[in-house]
Amino acid sequence: MKAGRIDLEGVDDVRELAERVVATRLREAHALTSGLDRRDKQGLHDFRIACKRLRYALERFAALDQSLEAIAQRLAALQNALGEAHDRDMLLAILPAAMTATERRLRSDREACVDRAVANWTELQQLMQALDSHRIAMVL
Amino acid sequence: MKWLTKTIHREQHALERARRRFVRKPNERRLHDVRTTDRRFLSLLEDVAGISESERLRRRVKRAAAATDAARDATIVLRLLESSVDGSERSFARPLLERLYQQERIATRTASKELRRMRFDP
Repeated sequence: MKAGRIDLEGVDDVRELAERVVATRLREAHALTSGLDRRDKQGLHDFRIACKRLRYALERFAALDQSLEAIAQRLAALQNALGEAHDRDMLLAILPAAMTATERRLRSDREACVDRAVANWTELQQLMQALDSHRIAMVL
Repeated sequence: MKWLTKTIHREQHALERARRRFVRKPNERRLHDVRTTDRRFLSLLEDVAGISESERLRRRVKRAAAATDAARDATIVLRLLESSVDGSERSFARPLLERLYQQERIATRTASKELRRMRFDP
């Protein structure tokens, strides 16, 4: 999924840049959460990439607001869970048909990874709501 | 914007360091380093595309990421298969394991060759 171009017209300071970048990347992640509900390969992949972009942006601007760091860490956990699910999808796609026991194990592990991601995303929503910084609350 | 210029230079240096380490001695850990540094930098360049004249650099960084995809995919699937294959199905897994070992070797060599030609120094 291609990253959307961010409108940075008139931006000349780093705080303003942070606000626009984080707001755009967060909007993109929110727009793709249906992938997490559907639990399908492509949907999860797109959502993971959007979360990765958001996480990188938050880490980059964390020096401006410490509370961004906690969200970035939670996003890293979410991204790990989705990454592990994706790895299992890749292996399942090429696994020989005769390996039924291995396939069952991989499918069950994959679902556990997606469950972890769903739990992480729920916690993230609460974390974002709890932010007390006016500036970041405005952005998120 | 001073902050942006400094950040782009810092990430350029980080990617160049990771690239040099990988081409000097290609291995799984160094491949991971070069990929994460590259993705992070690419994400910065995409975020600031509206105010930074870095389109050529962004394309080069994107090409570097693509050059390592096959090696990463082979490595990940290989490690996962090694750790998750059911004991009773080892014989079925062997041909796939061998194919993946070979893919990993070839893809890592190809990635190293392509990254050898690239430079990210400011």
